[in-house]
Amino acid sequence: MSASLEAALPATASARREPLPGDLAMWIFICAELAVFGLLLVGYAFARRASPELFAAGQATIDRGAGAIGTVLLLVGSWCVVRAARAIRSGSQAGLERWLLAAIVTGLGFVVFKGFGFAHVFGQGIGLSTNLFYTLFLLLTGFHYAHVLLGLVILTAVLMKARRGGYSAAEHAGVESGASYWHMVDLVWLVLFPLVYLVH
Amino acid sequence: MNRITIDSTLLVLALLLGLTLAGYGFGQSAWGGASLAALGLALVKGQMVIDRFMGLARVAGPWRWALSGWLAFVLGLIALASVV
Repeated sequence: MSASLEAALPATASARREPLPGDLAMWIFICAELAVFGLLLVGYAFARRASPELFAAGQATIDRGAGAIGTVLLLVGSWCVVRAARAIRSGSQAGLERWLLAAIVTGLGFVVFKGFGFAHVFGQGIGLSTNLFYTLFLLLTGFHYAHVLLGLVILTAVLMKARRGGYSAAEHAGVESGASYWHMVDLVWLVLFPLVYLVH
Repeated sequence: MNRITIDSTLLVLALLLGLTLAGYGFGQSAWGGASLAALGLALVKGQMVIDRFMGLARVAGPWRWALSGWLAFVLGLIALASVV
């Protein structure tokens, strides 16, 4: 197996020796967020098991392609954040700012794209009280949407500090913390997308 | 001769995008195992994000197992509710 392909695949248990990236408090926050999202995701799955016809009819009204495009935007954004963190680790302030800006642009792309999706749903007169499918669909995707917005606020704050020269190769825990939060938002979507849009 | 090197994170991104496309294909498919396959792809993609984007593959302590455990547990329950 080539070195680059090996590096891309899930890791083995060997050679874990680096410290946790970013602040411990952020990782505790991430774990708490994942616990809440886990309850919502599993709750959605078992609600669908109880009312399969209702959820199949509801799923048929949502756009799978839009969900896939949202996934692409979040994944590309996550990659930009990885590059931003790598840039500051090697001492490149300009690289940090450039990649953070790229991540924010892709995140805004997700916000605008998903915003149109919500507008389309609400424009059809559908709301939280329409039926159980739309209640859970809007709660789950809306809760995730709120986390994308918070992630964008965090990345923007990191970018503003970066522009003041607040990070260096030696001190960049804030960048790593912001990056970790953004990846968490991405990770949740990777579970949400198949659950809501693909599994039938 | 200059050696052409491919950034490993770019390769990870390419794999993630390819797996997303495959998952989308399973979502469109009428095949009986499509839902389980889409969830399996989500497991692989999530682990790649945990290991390579979050950088937990080389981090000491229980953090990688905590997030991987969350991913496997949640997807396992979703599979149980959706497929079994």
